[in-house]
Amino acid sequence: MPGLRRSSRRRRQSAAAAAPPGPLRDYLSTPFPDPRTPLDEVPLLAIDVETTGLDVERDRVIAAGWVPVDGATIDLAGARRHIVGMRMDVGDSATVHGITDDAVAAGSVPKEVLVEMLEALTGRVLLAHHASIEVGFLSAACQRVYGAPLVVSCVDTLALQHRVLTEGVGAPAEPLPGQVRLWASRERYGLPRYHAHEPLTDALACAELYLAQVAELSLRSTKPLSLKAVQRA
Amino acid sequence: MVDVELAEVTDFLAGHAPFDALPERVLRSLPARMGVRYHRRGSSLMAVGVDSNDLFVVRSGAIEIRDADGDLVSRGGEGTTAGSTTLVGDNPSRFDVVAIEDTLVLLLPREIFHELSQAHPDFADHFDAERADRLRMAASSVATNAAGQAILRSSGRDLVRREPVVTVPIGATIREAAEVMTTQDSSSVLVLDGERVAGILTDRDLRRRVVARDLDLHGPVSAVMTPDPVVAPAETAAVELLLTMVERHVHHLPLVDGGQPIGVVTSTDLMRLERVNAVHIVGDITQQRDVAGVVEMAGRVPRLVEQLVEQDVGAHDITRIVTSVGDAIERALIALAEDELREEHGPPPRYCWMVLGSRARHEQALGSDQDHAVIIADDAPDDAEAYLAALADRVVEGLEAAGYPRCEGEVMASNSRWRQRLDGWRREFRQWIHEPVPDAVLGASIFFDSRPLHGDEALHARLAEDISVWVPQGRKFLAHLTKEALAQEPPLGFFRGFVLARAGENRDTLDLKRGGVGAIVDLARVHALGAGLVSVNTRARLLAAGRSGAIDADTAASLVDALEFISHVRLAHQARQAAAGTRPDSRLRPSELTAFEQRSLREAFHVVRGAQQALAQRNPMQYYT
Repeated sequence: MPGLRRSSRRRRQSAAAAAPPGPLRDYLSTPFPDPRTPLDEVPLLAIDVETTGLDVERDRVIAAGWVPVDGATIDLAGARRHIVGMRMDVGDSATVHGITDDAVAAGSVPKEVLVEMLEALTGRVLLAHHASIEVGFLSAACQRVYGAPLVVSCVDTLALQHRVLTEGVGAPAEPLPGQVRLWASRERYGLPRYHAHEPLTDALACAELYLAQVAELSLRSTKPLSLKAVQRA
Repeated sequence: MVDVELAEVTDFLAGHAPFDALPERVLRSLPARMGVRYHRRGSSLMAVGVDSNDLFVVRSGAIEIRDADGDLVSRGGEGTTAGSTTLVGDNPSRFDVVAIEDTLVLLLPREIFHELSQAHPDFADHFDAERADRLRMAASSVATNAAGQAILRSSGRDLVRREPVVTVPIGATIREAAEVMTTQDSSSVLVLDGERVAGILTDRDLRRRVVARDLDLHGPVSAVMTPDPVVAPAETAAVELLLTMVERHVHHLPLVDGGQPIGVVTSTDLMRLERVNAVHIVGDITQQRDVAGVVEMAGRVPRLVEQLVEQDVGAHDITRIVTSVGDAIERALIALAEDELREEHGPPPRYCWMVLGSRARHEQALGSDQDHAVIIADDAPDDAEAYLAALADRVVEGLEAAGYPRCEGEVMASNSRWRQRLDGWRREFRQWIHEPVPDAVLGASIFFDSRPLHGDEALHARLAEDISVWVPQGRKFLAHLTKEALAQEPPLGFFRGFVLARAGENRDTLDLKRGGVGAIVDLARVHALGAGLVSVNTRARLLAAGRSGAIDADTAASLVDALEFISHVRLAHQARQAAAGTRPDSRLRPSELTAFEQRSLREAFHVVRGAQQALAQRNPMQYYT
């Protein structure tokens, strides 16, 4: 589908033109992986962020974790985890992610975390479970720091899980409530149980789920899958 | 604040050898140098002839390692490693590694593997020992050669290649039969009455019954054939076919499928498949002229079991083979005793020697004690008791020398209580079934698993028939059997303690008999006897009970699987004990089990407990009195 490819490239290029010189423009100037790339060659970066809430405008990222996936292999050498320092109180959200105000106070400078993550994401596809959260918060962060939005090429394991469960003869039109959540999805593939809500663990959990999903979808397909096949939701 | 520690991966490695031996500092730095990959069940991690540059560590799921001949080298779940041989030696890989469950693996690159091996001797030693072990197993299964494999795994159907079957109708003449054999180049011909195999004629028969007696070649073939020959179902395992031929002294065995002949297997066909130790042992046992010779042959059994386990033969088949060899030993000892007694006492009276317990069920493992009894015909002469007492003493002594300990409960033919006339046995069983006393029933259940081994089988058949009629009416007796079947609790608590005690020396051992094999045997017995079924083999009992509706068919199938798995773990354990020179038992130390085996055992014990609970619900407690 060349139309799609062009529009994705155009959006990236026009965002690059709007971004000030620096890390965001550098990231946006590097082409995304071609949608026709076979899946076992696609470079991705699994990302998870913990936030103070769900409002992209008001709430902030307090921790982020990521790990690269090169084709069919997760590269643990590239795994990173940052607690982001800020003046704002963590408040009640600490009960979810367990990151306290003290830890946040000692955390990294937000801009530095953003720069490191943009470098890691350069030339890669963003991989996340319910990716709109990650993309929304990261784009809002880019707006604040650089005055320009983030454009990504993206694969969402939640959308993939929805497909896994609803595609095929006799499959239900809708999965059961809760069935597409990260830990329920992993259980379906017999993947190990981890302690949830720690951003690097969640990113790793998402990356492993992606490998399992790709293995299953490849089995269902008669021809080798390309990136395009896992990007349509 | 940068933090790259992957706690989940570090904790996992810390729980598995040989990573648990690494210093914490090294361990914590390790995950960041590894990769992760996911393999669907059935997909390949490493393949013979293909380069491989990582050590694989199973994070979840299970893998299987096979050598270039396809022989199983190892199989394991969480924590199992693969690939060290190729990392230490040269590419390409000499092994196939395949995921047998959906599997998540950690990858440790070649250079880091070497770095760790050099810096940490414990780490290197672990893989050296594992490699030596796997290579020894691979080598020994190669030494028994591919043909040995083939015969153990193939059935009669696989051996019959000749199409069509060589036959003549029952009305044919001797000459016509000989012509068919000649034109079809066959050493035998089946004589058919319609579709039924009425007889068989062989080259040897032609020589001995026709030529040597100068018979008229125009006479009917039915006059010189062997009528109603021994036949075997097409699916019979090759080993069993051979055992049958050795025991029945025949060289040609027609195979039938649904009553119709599909071909004839000859002893030459089977021998062409090369040496099979099980068969050779049985053959050799029948050749022995004295007790010392039989005892020597019996000494080969533990090694045989070891080989069968290594060749990944199923527990069901291994216990059948161990039983067949045990039968041959016991028969040989009885025959030798009869020969010895002939001078003093004359010919034996009419009697039936029966085996009991696991041997009767075709489920003998290593280290079982002897269980047997004698039925004397009601019309046997008065001195029959004295004769059989002398015979039993000799057989018991011989069996003891051959490695079968005396039965602790004295359930042996040398005990006058278990050497009775048919009439006495019938009284005994009627009492057990109709007026059961708890203690008496507890000891008696072994007699409900019996099989004739030597002598007049009709005596045993009469008794078995009575039992199958009486038992379903004996509600109180069945209640006692039920209680007994529920008493052997599966050791599920053991697994809870196992994880906690992993680090320390675990004093507890896991009993695979009580609560495992024993509990399944008891469950099968109560269901089968209650339904009036005559099989004694546990698997056969369960499947028949499932078919008849006496037990839920899925439960029956699960119990069969559980029995197979627990038995296999037990046989492997016993083979190791025998190789180490200790007496085989059913008690396992946790360190002998892989994570995969632990998980599967726990599942198997859950199946047993589920089946016990279902039985308990069906039989309310007041039933027990």
